[in-house]
Amino acid sequence: MAVKRLHLMVCAGTGCVSNKSMEVKAALETEIEKHGLAAEVDVIPTGCNGFCGVGPILLVQPDGIFYQQLRPRDIPHLVEEHLLKGRPVQRHLYTPPGEKGTIPLMSDIPFFHAQVLIALRNRGMIDPEKIEDYIAREGYQAAAKALTTMSPQEVLDVVKASGLRGRGGGGFPTGIKWESTKRAPSENGTRWVICNADEGDPGAFMDRSIIEGDPHSVLEGMIIGAYAIGATRGFIYVRQEYPLALKRFMIALNQARESGLLGEDILGTGFSFDIEVHRGAGAFVCGESTALMASLEGNVGEPRAKYIHTVERGLWNMPSCLNNVETWANVPPIILHGAEWFTQLGTGDVSENPWGGSKGTKVFSLAGKINNTGLVEVPMGITLREIVFDIGGGIANGKRLKSVQTGGPSGGCLPEELLDLEVDFDTLTAAGSMMGSGGMLVMDEDDCMVDFARFYIDFLMAESCGKCTPCREGLRNMNMILQRICDGKGQEGDIELLEEISACMIDAALCALGTSAPNPVLSTIKYFREEYEEHIREGKCRAGVCKALITYKVDADKCSGCTLCARACPVNAITGETKKLHVIDPNVCDRCGACYDACTFDAIIRV
Amino acid sequence: MVTFEIDGQQVQVEEGEPIIKGAEKLGIKIPTLCHCEWLEPYGACRVCTVEVVMGKRHRMVTACNYPAREGLRVLTQSERAVAARRMVLEMQLARCSTVPIIQELAREHGIEKSRFGEGTETCIMCGLCVRICSELVGAHALCFGQRGTERFISTPFQREGEEGPCIACGACVDVCPTGHIWMEDLSARKGQPQDFYLGPKSAIAIPTQQAVPKAPRIDPDACIYLQTRGCSICQQVCEPEAVDLSQHDEEFEIEVGQILTTTGFQLFDPRKMSQYGYGRLDNVLTSLEFEMMLNSTGPTGGKVLMKNGQVPRAIGILHCIGSRDENHHAYCSRVCCMYAMKFAHLVKDRSDAEVYQFYIDMEAYGKGYHEFYSRILAEDVNVIRGKAAEVTEQMWGDEAEGVLHIRCEDTLVGKFRDIPVDMVVLCCAIEPQSDLGNMAHILGLTRSPDGFLLERHPKLDPIGTNTDGIYIAGTCQGPKDIPDTVAQAQAAAARILALIAKGKVLIDPIKASIDAEHCSGCRMCNSLCPYQAITFDEEEEVSVVNDTLCKGCGTCVAACPSGAIRGAGFTDNQILAELEGILI
Ligand SMILES: Cc1cc2nc3c(=O)[nH]c(=O)nc-3n(C[C@H](O)[C@H](O)[C@H](O)COP(=O)(O)O)c2cc1C
Ligand code: SF4
Ligand code: SF4
Ligand code: FES
Repeated sequence: MAVKRLHLMVCAGTGCVSNKSMEVKAALETEIEKHGLAAEVDVIPTGCNGFCGVGPILLVQPDGIFYQQLRPRDIPHLVEEHLLKGRPVQRHLYTPPGEKGTIPLMSDIPFFHAQVLIALRNRGMIDPEKIEDYIAREGYQAAAKALTTMSPQEVLDVVKASGLRGRGGGGFPTGIKWESTKRAPSENGTRWVICNADEGDPGAFMDRSIIEGDPHSVLEGMIIGAYAIGATRGFIYVRQEYPLALKRFMIALNQARESGLLGEDILGTGFSFDIEVHRGAGAFVCGESTALMASLEGNVGEPRAKYIHTVERGLWNMPSCLNNVETWANVPPIILHGAEWFTQLGTGDVSENPWGGSKGTKVFSLAGKINNTGLVEVPMGITLREIVFDIGGGIANGKRLKSVQTGGPSGGCLPEELLDLEVDFDTLTAAGSMMGSGGMLVMDEDDCMVDFARFYIDFLMAESCGKCTPCREGLRNMNMILQRICDGKGQEGDIELLEEISACMIDAALCALGTSAPNPVLSTIKYFREEYEEHIREGKCRAGVCKALITYKVDADKCSGCTLCARACPVNAITGETKKLHVIDPNVCDRCGACYDACTFDAIIRV
Repeated sequence: MVTFEIDGQQVQVEEGEPIIKGAEKLGIKIPTLCHCEWLEPYGACRVCTVEVVMGKRHRMVTACNYPAREGLRVLTQSERAVAARRMVLEMQLARCSTVPIIQELAREHGIEKSRFGEGTETCIMCGLCVRICSELVGAHALCFGQRGTERFISTPFQREGEEGPCIACGACVDVCPTGHIWMEDLSARKGQPQDFYLGPKSAIAIPTQQAVPKAPRIDPDACIYLQTRGCSICQQVCEPEAVDLSQHDEEFEIEVGQILTTTGFQLFDPRKMSQYGYGRLDNVLTSLEFEMMLNSTGPTGGKVLMKNGQVPRAIGILHCIGSRDENHHAYCSRVCCMYAMKFAHLVKDRSDAEVYQFYIDMEAYGKGYHEFYSRILAEDVNVIRGKAAEVTEQMWGDEAEGVLHIRCEDTLVGKFRDIPVDMVVLCCAIEPQSDLGNMAHILGLTRSPDGFLLERHPKLDPIGTNTDGIYIAGTCQGPKDIPDTVAQAQAAAARILALIAKGKVLIDPIKASIDAEHCSGCRMCNSLCPYQAITFDEEEEVSVVNDTLCKGCGTCVAACPSGAIRGAGFTDNQILAELEGILI
């Protein structure tokens, strides 16, 4: 293979693709052809870079120049300038919000600078549909090392010593789970390993990004796990709504089989293992381990009691080891570089007890009122402040941060005071939130915490399986109470009632969906109780979100009679003639806030 | 065995058994809503939540499915456990405020009214119905629809009734604690015993009070196990292990010297005469069903009752349904007139109902029969000469006198009449069993044109058949009443015993015999023999004559293409010698 001078890494993650990155790629190829550069320059589609907000992204390697927000029509100029004349095009480089100067190198951009990549180690570097690309970057070396030079017990010991904990939400030590599965009695020796790629949290796309960008890393992790545990078959449970992830998995599986990395007698070691993909119909609750296994068996995806653990009796009553996509992707580097390497990063001490700390990194999806939204991988122990302000670039539009929500729908909201909290499994749980699978939502002063809790309870109410009474009825009643608080009809005692229902759900719900569902409510009550009280006692929503509690008025001194607001109003609630004072009819007003946003004289006031 | 503690009391259960087993042993009540000893634990209702302590660790678990462990301490009345249960019940009450079992449990926990409102749902989502249908019955006819708060009980793909997989066993209805599921009228559904069915009956039951042996019998059409391989609960509960569902029908071969055929009759199916409304109109019964009803051990204990449980005001008894009818059976069924009169007499005896008899001719020929006829006339039974034309539902006017109408021509007065009644009894014809032809074929018997078995001679041998050693008695030979049947049966028994007592049979010397050397095995003679005396020996591949059955008629001798059969005493030489004797 001829060595190329330049590699143009076009992001082919779902975010960039929907921003037309494939057209950018086509334009690049045409231009390169036109200039006769095909022999020196290669165009490679890669997985998601995580910085989806500025897509489509183009990374020029080996220089590391980072282009953003490209359109197909920018390409002829870019090819001419950069590829032919060697001058990076200034106007397509990244400019941090609120600053003037550009940052040409990817590694210098704050969003990428503080990140440490283990699970996402091949991000933007490889074509996910080529096993050669993966192998070129140490791919399958870990599997080869484990299978040819280590005993299953040695592999297990390394994973245990690394302190790796499950990235799917529970944070259970992976080594212990593997060991229990290995030890569980099985009549005919059958054991399964399963990959949880259900990713049901709204707004989370860590797992999808790993699969789409680097599917082989998950397969390699599973091969190593299966070897350590003594499993002969693996299953990947991926949601049907991830067509690209599914396709990448299928391609990767075929390539791995063709290369002798899956199937009978892997690498001539006598170890046999293969993986099957199962498409889930997409229910949040199917991410829960017992529900997932029920769904995999072809039954209704409903959890069952885990008094007998799935590592003993899981899928088809056989010992089953279920791990999250990110957990599996972490395994190969651990085997390759050793447990000490992994434990250098993170918090606590896991040498005695795997529960003693959180090691390695965690992928988060940053969203909400933040400048840089996207996917980031950070070392455990990083503070929330670093994530929000250094990587995330601070709060958008110069607003004030109110809260950071972590852990997805059943996580909790942390207040500004806790920004210096070191992020790991145990600190987040102690603060009333949780790591979850890595959702992180930043809220500013325009977000109402009561409305926010109601939103998540709504989601959970629709996604609960409805099997057990505390979860089904608890969510229904919490929703009813939160709704009436948002509607200005809250009653004294409602907060206590919410707490009472929460206690029952925590104690009596069947699965973790139900026992963790009160988190959004409890954490907002804990840190933002005064907002609840204002809603109930004063009929006030300080963020101006709860429609029933706000009215829009025209400030007579400021109104210039420009008619903008009247034109913006979708229900024609505003009357007034040109250059004359406008009036909002409160009976017609829908409280959508269109006028508030439209007015350029700040003449619309919200009370 | 594991030993653990509930509320301070020690108890032992088998390894793996849930806490609730121990509580039952100790008589400690833990409320349950979704628990059923026949089903896998489900752990959905959560009202059995208790606190458990293992070492220093406190945990909330459900008693119905948490496996007891050695040294476990269970607290059913701890503050946390009671609070959790109360809240669960308060929320259930808010959902199902009208359901008695929830009201009761809530009240026991000190909740009169829920703070979350009063819903009118009747399903508490315990899932018992779904589980019994799939786990025990095996029909998989119920499932949950939707999820979360929208969850509801449904049928797979919302298919119901005939097209659904429901076998109408009623297990779900039985197990539902709230009455959310009920049975629809099942009479037209599969899996329900139809014949002579007058009241509730389970798939396993002692068929009749005087049944011999007095043991329960399984109705294969209604048994869930035989349909889906589910259930088998009778086998599980029977302590002496007398139920063995793995048994199959078996065939036995018994060698006997004589056979008495007494296979009886079947009742004409009145559905074939739709004008009488049987199967379509309520309270139109066959005579056999009515007979069951009148029986003091029958479903109504001998009372005459309509479907709604009331006593009918008038009953019409229709003679000759399917008998004396060119379209069905031309013959007279002989017994109907007399039992119809008995019905009338019993009805008069037990109720105030009017009774109408619709007859063609009153066949009261036997000893004391006509006297009985006179007696019922004296009992004010109305007899109308004329065959009923149709039975209709009361469509017009009031229902003062009856809900059904019988229309007929009263041939004595030459007038059409329309008689309102509440109940109609159809005196259906006695007809040959539907498989009698098959049976006749097996035994080599012949049948008369009416379909019944043909006797050897109507006057001189009414119990014998053309095959020696095979006799017939009772209604397989033709309609007859009980005294006639008994007389015929006793005669047959005497004949059989006479032969047995003799020990030997004297047979005619005139016999056919087959020369195995010459027999080609064509089997032509087998079917020609009118007495079924020739069988084929599969091993030797030749036909053989049964000496006892052979009457020496010579049919086979004449027919054998190989000339292998000879009549004893009729060889060519013997005949020639006889001729010689005559001629010389
Ligand atoms: C309601 C609910 C939803 C869940 N969804 C997911 C999911 O989408 N993906 C996932 O990996 N784990 C999910 N989990 C966590 C899994 O139950 C399980 O703990 C995890 O897959 C184990 O893998 P790990 O040890 O590698 O984290 C969910 C748990 C609950 C209770
Ligand atoms: S807690 Fe919720 S999701 Fe879990 S079993 Fe109960 S109803 Fe289903
Ligand atoms: S219908 Fe009855 S048995 Fe079925 S889930 Fe509802 S309450 Fe339980
Ligand atoms: S009886 Fe135990 S959860 Fe319902």
